Amino acid sequence: MSVVQFVVNGLLVGSLFATVAVGFALIWGVVDIINLAHGEMVMLGGYCSYWLIQLAGGEVSVGIALATVPVAMAVLFVVGYALQRVLIQQVTDESLFLTLLITFGISIAIQQLAIQAWSATPRSINVGLADPSIFVAGLIIPKMKLLAFVGALVLTLLLWLFLKRTRRGRAIRAVAQNPQASELIGIDVEHTRAVTFGISAAIAGGAGSFIGMILGLWPQMGLNYTLKSFVIVVFGGIGSIPGALVGGLSLGTIEELTAGLVSSTWTLAVSFSLLIVLLVFKPDGLFGQSVEGEQ
Amino acid sequence: MDQDHSRRTFIKVAGSTSVVGIAGLAGCSGDGGDGSGDGGSSGGDGSGDGGSDGSGGSDGGTTGGGSSDIIRLGGSMSLSGDNADLGQLYRDSYELTINRINEAGGVEAGDGTTYELEMVLRDDQTDASTSRGIYQELIDQEDIDYLLGPYSSTVTLPASAVAANNEKPMVEGGGASPEIFSQGNEWIFGLLPTADKYPLSTIDMAMSQDDAPSTVAILAEDDTFSQSSREGAMAKIENTDGLELVVDRTFPTETSDLSTNLGRVRDADADVLLLCAHQKHAVIAADQMESQDVNVDLAMATVGSLTDSFKEQSGANGNYWYGPSSWAINADFEDSVFGSTGEFASAIEEQYDYTPDYHNAAGAVVVETFAKAFEQVDSLGPTAVRDVIRDIEFTSAYGGITFGDNGVIDKDMLVYQWQPDPGKQIVYPEAVQQSAPIYPTPAWSER
Repeated sequence: MSVVQFVVNGLLVGSLFATVAVGFALIWGVVDIINLAHGEMVMLGGYCSYWLIQLAGGEVSVGIALATVPVAMAVLFVVGYALQRVLIQQVTDESLFLTLLITFGISIAIQQLAIQAWSATPRSINVGLADPSIFVAGLIIPKMKLLAFVGALVLTLLLWLFLKRTRRGRAIRAVAQNPQASELIGIDVEHTRAVTFGISAAIAGGAGSFIGMILGLWPQMGLNYTLKSFVIVVFGGIGSIPGALVGGLSLGTIEELTAGLVSSTWTLAVSFSLLIVLLVFKPDGLFGQSVEGEQ
Repeated sequence: MDQDHSRRTFIKVAGSTSVVGIAGLAGCSGDGGDGSGDGGSSGGDGSGDGGSDGSGGSDGGTTGGGSSDIIRLGGSMSLSGDNADLGQLYRDSYELTINRINEAGGVEAGDGTTYELEMVLRDDQTDASTSRGIYQELIDQEDIDYLLGPYSSTVTLPASAVAANNEKPMVEGGGASPEIFSQGNEWIFGLLPTADKYPLSTIDMAMSQDDAPSTVAILAEDDTFSQSSREGAMAKIENTDGLELVVDRTFPTETSDLSTNLGRVRDADADVLLLCAHQKHAVIAADQMESQDVNVDLAMATVGSLTDSFKEQSGANGNYWYGPSSWAINADFEDSVFGSTGEFASAIEEQYDYTPDYHNAAGAVVVETFAKAFEQVDSLGPTAVRDVIRDIEFTSAYGGITFGDNGVIDKDMLVYQWQPDPGKQIVYPEAVQQSAPIYPTPAWSER
């Protein structure tokens, strides 16, 4: 198996890591919260798509599968908005420990509720494809992974455009830079933070839908994605969307190269070792700007 | 100020609520499956009796909770966490078997007293250290003398050490690693063949085909059970003429993408894929073999490829997959609790609405083994019961039950295959075969 194939596999999966991490970076940058329940938003998004597809008969066409993505995002937006308004808002300006405790509690609660509701049985979304792979120059590219790759990049691009080009996006960036000043110029800071949390959850949910289509779902999957997001965001630069994108693609590629050339059991060790090395030489991450500067 | 004050109050409340909530949820999922509630009428009564009579347990706690007519069986089980789906099968079997025994009047023990059985089963969240703590607590605080085993080798190994340290017999149907039985532990009894045996029958079956395979790929999860299975398979391959190991890769349990490892299998043109792993990875492998265009003559998973949920989740991609089992659902063994193998299967189907597999059968026999031992022992007590179990011999829905010197049942594995039309079929050995294996597995382009 060629190194190029490992890189392709890594980029395909890494795009999803990146999209998940973009949502994580957004919360970290704007609300100043390390959201340990972010992976659970991925899981919930995946289950939204899964159950919608089950209602549609179990194995569906690509079109129907893709149509569940915006629905999952809408549901997760509401979940994220409500979480921020009801719980997170109360600890936003408090110590890091408390925010970690609250989001960790939310994470465990969602996980356990998911197990009670849907059992721990692993699920996968079956998408009917007559010819599941494309063969290009000796490389195998699964079509669903390619679709998920494109979908993940589109979600990330849309978020970036939203933040750069819309009034609400500018409000979010303003709150990230200076909440007090934002309030003085008439921005509803708490509402803006809740919208940000909702968007972050929606992006994670959308990625979760794609993850369900290509990798599978189970209630305890969230922690893995939270950990990856943390690594990616620190790697790319806290609060930076381009940084999260590059970080995600890099992490996916590094993991697959490690799995292919060394062993899958070394992927975490290699990823974290590289992160440590990077932080020694470039403490602000690859894109090297502070949250305020980037936003 | 007021806002700060209310926020601080909220934080205190939320902080403690979240901690309590976490503990509560964990406890809830665990206790949701515990036997005190599930044991029917005896459950509720038993806890009360045990509490009041415990101090008066003049018979040395041989009746567990100290009640005059109740014997408590305690254990931990994966009711949440990675293996909750399989842990549930054991819980169901423990519960159903205990209920059936109690409904039939209980256990007439060798000391002349008739006892009801009561189960105290707590959720270990598929975590070995949690399980270990639960067993110690059951022994120290609940006065449990007879231990029901947990699920998975990783959890069973430390739990069995607790049983040995406290000199309490543990009968388990969920741990199969040879390491559990190679520690000189005289208090553990296992109802599953050891993990190193899991792939052997499948390799024998493949080698008995006209177009026998020549190359094998092993993808193994990095947990205790799967690594033992891998070692058993490697030894078998080494001792089998004409069989060569071409891929040997280990992956971490948390991996959700096997595409690079499966790519290696494809590139090596392996005839056989042995996936030494559990259900999650069996589903992932079945799906990704299609998308990665990996064609082998035979693909088997050591655990999890025979459950209904595997087939539901993998759909048509799960067709032709093989899996080993220590139990044949179509066998016809007598069983003193359920009547026969068939009646046991029907009882599970009626009560829980799914088709039982060998996990269920082994779980039922865990309870039956204790019940038989209580009947045969002159005076109840952990050592006496342990000694009786060593030499026990009886027939159950699971088959004939006896334990070797190391505490493990001597049993070979059958091989099942998911076939497109009839569904799950026993394909090996020929003596109990329901259908001939569909071998080699058709290529993806021909399905």
